[in-house]
Amino acid sequence: MQEAKVLSYRQINKDLLGNIFKSSNRYWLIVGFLTIIVLGAFAAAGYMINRGLWVTGLNRPIFWGFMITNFVFWIGISHAGVMLSAILRLSKAEWRRPATRAAEVLTIFSLMTAVTMPIIHTGRPWRTLYWAFPFDFQRGIWPDVRSALVWDPSAINTYLTSSIMFVFVALIPDLAVLRDRSTGLRRMIYTVLSMGWRGSPRQWKLQAIAGILLSALILPVFVSVHSIVSFDFSMTISVKAWHSTIFAPYFVIGAVLSGVSGVVTVMIFIRWLFNWEDYIRREHIDALGRLLIVIALAWFYFFALEFMFGIYGQEGDELATRHMQMFEPPWSWLFLTFIITAFFIPLGLWLFRDVRRSFLWMTITTLLVNVGMWLERFLIIVPGLARKQGFTGTWHTYAPSAVEITIIVGTFAMVLLLFLLFAKVFPLIPLFDIKEGQVLKDEIKIGRRRVPAVIRED
Amino acid sequence: MASHHKWGMVVDIDRCTGCQACVMACQAENNIAVNEEVHFLSRRAHQWIRIDRYWDGDTKEKGVVTWPDVKARFIPVLCQHCENAPCEPVCPVYATYHNNQGLNVQVYNRCIGTRYCANNCPYQVRFFNFRDPLWPKSLWNHLNPDVTIRSRGIMEKCTFCIQRIRRAERVVEGQRGEQLDDAKLKAGNWMPACVNACPTDTLIFGDLNDPNSQVSRKSQDPRHYKLLEELGTDPNVVYLKKVDPQHAQHA
Amino acid sequence: MHSTHSLPIGDDVHTKDYKVQLSVHGEELDSKTIIEDVSRGFFAFGAFYKLALLALAALFAVGIVVFVIRAADGLGDASRHQWDYLAAVFAFIVSAAGCAPLIAVALRMTRNHWRRPISRIAELYAVVGLLSLLMFIPLLRVLPPIDGRRTLWFTDEFPGAPVWWNFFGLLGLVIAGLALLFVSALPDWLQTSRRGQGFRAGFAGVFAGRWTGTEAQWKLHRAVLAIMGAFYFLLLIYMLSIINTDFVMSLVPGWKDAIMPAHQALTGIQSALALVLITAFLVRTFGGYKKYFPMEVFWSSSKILMALCLLWAYFWFAAFMTFWYGRMPVEQTILKTFMFESYFIPFLINIFCSWLIPFFGLLMWNPVRKSVWGPTLASCFILVGAFFMMVRLYVPAFNIEDVTAFSLETVPAAVTPNAGDIFIIIGALSGAVFLYMLAAKFIPIISIWEMKEGLLYQRVRTLFRSRFLMVGKPD
Repeated sequence: MQEAKVLSYRQINKDLLGNIFKSSNRYWLIVGFLTIIVLGAFAAAGYMINRGLWVTGLNRPIFWGFMITNFVFWIGISHAGVMLSAILRLSKAEWRRPATRAAEVLTIFSLMTAVTMPIIHTGRPWRTLYWAFPFDFQRGIWPDVRSALVWDPSAINTYLTSSIMFVFVALIPDLAVLRDRSTGLRRMIYTVLSMGWRGSPRQWKLQAIAGILLSALILPVFVSVHSIVSFDFSMTISVKAWHSTIFAPYFVIGAVLSGVSGVVTVMIFIRWLFNWEDYIRREHIDALGRLLIVIALAWFYFFALEFMFGIYGQEGDELATRHMQMFEPPWSWLFLTFIITAFFIPLGLWLFRDVRRSFLWMTITTLLVNVGMWLERFLIIVPGLARKQGFTGTWHTYAPSAVEITIIVGTFAMVLLLFLLFAKVFPLIPLFDIKEGQVLKDEIKIGRRRVPAVIRED
Repeated sequence: MASHHKWGMVVDIDRCTGCQACVMACQAENNIAVNEEVHFLSRRAHQWIRIDRYWDGDTKEKGVVTWPDVKARFIPVLCQHCENAPCEPVCPVYATYHNNQGLNVQVYNRCIGTRYCANNCPYQVRFFNFRDPLWPKSLWNHLNPDVTIRSRGIMEKCTFCIQRIRRAERVVEGQRGEQLDDAKLKAGNWMPACVNACPTDTLIFGDLNDPNSQVSRKSQDPRHYKLLEELGTDPNVVYLKKVDPQHAQHA
Repeated sequence: MHSTHSLPIGDDVHTKDYKVQLSVHGEELDSKTIIEDVSRGFFAFGAFYKLALLALAALFAVGIVVFVIRAADGLGDASRHQWDYLAAVFAFIVSAAGCAPLIAVALRMTRNHWRRPISRIAELYAVVGLLSLLMFIPLLRVLPPIDGRRTLWFTDEFPGAPVWWNFFGLLGLVIAGLALLFVSALPDWLQTSRRGQGFRAGFAGVFAGRWTGTEAQWKLHRAVLAIMGAFYFLLLIYMLSIINTDFVMSLVPGWKDAIMPAHQALTGIQSALALVLITAFLVRTFGGYKKYFPMEVFWSSSKILMALCLLWAYFWFAAFMTFWYGRMPVEQTILKTFMFESYFIPFLINIFCSWLIPFFGLLMWNPVRKSVWGPTLASCFILVGAFFMMVRLYVPAFNIEDVTAFSLETVPAAVTPNAGDIFIIIGALSGAVFLYMLAAKFIPIISIWEMKEGLLYQRVRTLFRSRFLMVGKPD
C-alpha cells in the first residue's frame, strides 16, 4: 500500500483499455509466435488421432503418460483463479485487485485446455466426445457413475461454468465502459454483453451481491474439482502408489501452489507487455510471495505425509515405486529436480523480502515452481504404473515421443495465446476494482507518521 | 439361455512346464495380432494368457540364484474374471461389466479406450490396441470367424473363449435340451483354447456351480490359493500350489 | 487528520449515537480505560471463581487417584487396553489446547483487526500443555515395541526410539508455547503490576523483569513473537501427526492412512478455535468485558469455523471414499471398526457434532453467524464432536490384541468406558480447566498491548452517508 499512486479515472481507463483499441507490435509478435506453436500442436494431435496411439510412448503397463500428467497439471493451474479471486475477495485483501481477473481468465483457459487432454488421449476420441454424457435414454445405455472418469467431466464442467459466470459478472461494469468508448461492430457486441449496465446504485449492489455469492459458492467447487481428479488415481487398488487417502487434499494444495505461482508469472508478464507499472506493483508480488510461502509449506506437509506413508505401508510394489523415483536414473534426476525446483529453491528465496519485491526473481521462482509441479504429477503417475503389483515381468519404463512433447508444449502456448486474445477484447485488470480501491483508500495519522488505511465495509 | 452356470478355471502350477502351448492356442483362437520382436521390446505385445517365469533357488548371491541350484517357476496368468473386479467400476462407459455367468465381459464396440481398466487390473491382463492389427494376406484364412477383430483404440482381454461357451450352450442346451457338463464340453471341443491345448492338464475349465465338475472339486484341493487374495478381488480362477519333490516327502 | 482523497470521506466521528455493529473501539475505549479494566478484572478473585477452582481441583485429584490405583496394576504393553480412554482424552486436550496458541499466531500473521481481544485467551492455553505432557508419559510407557508392526520409526533404541522423539517433541512444544505466552505477556505484566498490590502484583512485577517498553524492546518483541509463532506452528503440526501415527495407526495392523494425521491436526485447529470462542464468550459474559468482545469477533470467527467444519468433512470423506470404493477386505474391516459397526455411536456423534449440526444447523444461516450466541453454540457442538473423534480413534487402537498381525482380520467389539475411565476423563478435563483458570489469575486475560496497538490503527470515518471503520495498514 505504500507505493500506491493516486490515479484519476481517466488515467485508469486509458491505461487499462489501451491494448483493446491498439496493441503494440510486441503484442502481435508474441501472438503470432504462439499461434505457430499451437498450430504445430494441433497437427501433432491430429496425426495422433489419425494414426493411433502407437505414435506415443505409451505401453503396457504405462497406459497413462505425458498427456494425463498435463491434464492434471492444467487442472492444477486452474485453481489459481478461485484462490485469489474468491478467497481474497471474501477476506477483503486489498492487494488482490489487479490480480483477480487475470487469475480467473487463466483458470478458464487452463480448464478448457485441460479438458482436451483426456479426450485426445483415449483410443477413440470421436466416441469419447459424447459417450461420457447421459443422453441415450431410449436404449438405456448410461455412463457408469461409479467411475471417477465420469465424475471428472461433471466437476470440471461445473467449475468451468461457474468460473465463466464469475468472470462475466465481474466484467459487466468494464464492458459498459468499453461500450461507451467504442463504435460500430465493437459497440454492438459490447452493448449486448454489458446487458444494459448504467452504473446505478441498485445495479452496483446486485453486482456486488452476485460476486460475493459466486465467490462463496465457487469455493466448494474449487476444492472438489481437483479432489475428484485425484480420485481418478486414489480410487484404484492395483497401483499402490496411487491408493492413498491423502491424494485429495494433496492434489488440491499442489494445485493452489502451481496455480498461484502461475498467476504471478502471468501478472509479471502482462505488466511488462502492457506497461502496467502503476497497477501491478511490488507490494502485490510481495503479498503474493508471502501467501506462496504459506501454501508451499502446507504443500510440503502433505507431500511429506504422502511420501512417508507410502513407505510406511512396507508393500513391495510401493517400495519399488519409491526406489524407482529416488534411485533409478533418469527418474532420480527428475525427482531431485522436482523437489528442488518445486520447494527448496523457491521457498528459500521467498523468505527474503528483496526477492519477493523483485519482478525478475519472482518470475524465476514461480516458473521453477511450475516446472517442479509438472514433474511432481509425472512422478506420481508414471512410476506408480511402472512398478505395479508383484508381477515384475510386466514392469517397464516410459519415454515420451515427439508427438506427445509437441502436444504438451502446444498446450502451454494455447493457454497463453487464449489469454492474450482475451486481453484484446476485454480488460485484464478490472477497472471498477481499481477504482473501488482508490475510493476505499485513505490515510490516518499516527503520531507524526502517515499510515495508509483502508475502509472496512463490514 | 444361461442356465445358472458360473464359469471358473483351476490352474495346477505343479503341472505347468512353461511350454506356452496355451499362449499360442489363445493367439490363434482369438484373432490376436502376431507379436513381433518390436512389440515385445516396446511392451505392446498381446498375450491374453501369459506364462510368468520366476527363477527360484536356495542359494542366492545378491538376490540372484546360482546354477545348478536353480529352478524355474511358471505361473500362467490370465484374466481372473473377478467377482469384485477392480476393472469394472472404473470404466466410464460400461464397456466392461460382470455378466450373470461370472464372466468379466469386454464390450468392444462400447470401449472408448481410456485404459483406466488396464491401470486398475492388478494382474495386468488387459491389453490395449495401440494400432489396427494387420495380418499378411497369407494368414487371412486362419482367422476365426467367431471372434471380432478389434480395431485400434479398444481394450481386449481373455474372455474364457466366450464364443465357444456360447456355441456350447446353443448346441447342447438350446438344440439338444441337455445339461451342459464337463464331459459334453470336452466332447464338443468347447473348452477354451488354452485348456484344449495344454498337454499336462494344467488348465481345467468348467462350471463352478456344478458340484460334479472338475473345477468344483479341484478348487477345494488343499493346495488351492488365489492370486493377490488380500486385494479382495474374489477371482474365479483358482491356483493349486506347486509342491517341490523334497518337500513332498514330508507332506 | 484530513482526507487526501477527492471523495467525501469525512473526519473522525466523535458522536456516540449510532447503531452500527462494528468494533468501534476507537470511540468506546482508550488506553487508560483498557489498562484499568483489565487490571481490575485481573486482580478480582471472587468467591465464585475460588469455588470453581476448588471444585475443579477436587475432580482433578480424584482423577489422579484413580490413575494411580490403576497404574499400580501395571503400566506396560500388556496393560495397554486399560489406558484407552486416557489416550482419547489426552489426544483431545493436546489437540484442542495445543492448537489454541496457533489461533493467536495465525490471526496475528494475517493481521486481522478483530483478533485482538481473543489473542491472549488463545495463547493462555499453552499452560494446559503442562497437563498434556504429564499425561503423555504413561501413554508412552504402554506403547508396544516396534518389531513386527508398521511404524514410522526404525529402531526402539535411543536415540532413534519413538518414545524419546515423541517426548522431547511434546516437551519442546510446551516450552515453545509457554515462551510465546511469556513474551506476549511481558508488557501486560508491567502494566498490571503497577495497578495493584499483593502477591500477584509482585509476581507480575517479577516476571515483567526488565521490560520498559523502549522501541528496541518492542521491535524484538515483535520479531520473537513472529519467529516463535512460526516455530510453534511447525512443531505442533509435526507433533500431532506423530502422535496420531504412533498411538492410532501403528497399533492397528493393516491400516495405512496418509490423511489421518492431517485430519487430527485439522480437528485440533477446529476444536481450538471453538475452545477460544467459548472461552471468549465466558470471559465476555462473566468477566464484565462486554465492550471488548463486540459481535464482530464472533461473526468473523464464525466464517473461519464454517470453513474448518467443511474441511473436516472433506478430509473425512477423502479417507472414507478411498477405503470404501475398492472393497479391499482389510480396509473394509477398518471402516467397520472405526466408523460403521463397532464404534458407530461415537462416529455418529462425531460426524453430527463436528460437521452436520454446526454447519447445516447453525453456521450456514446468516442470523446465527452474525451473533454472539450462534458461533458459541456451534463451538460447543464442535468440542463434543472432537472428543468423540478421539474416542473412536484411540479406544479401538489401544484395544487391539495382536499389533503384529498382517492385517485386521475381524472387527473387534466396542469397549465402553467403565467407572474408572469416566473419573479419569472428568479428572483430565477438570485439570485442564483448572490450570487455565488459575493461569488467568496470573496473566491478564486480555492482551493490553494488542488492544492499545489496535486503537492506534482504527478510526471511524464517514463515506457518503454511512460510517465505516477504517483500519490502517502499515505494511
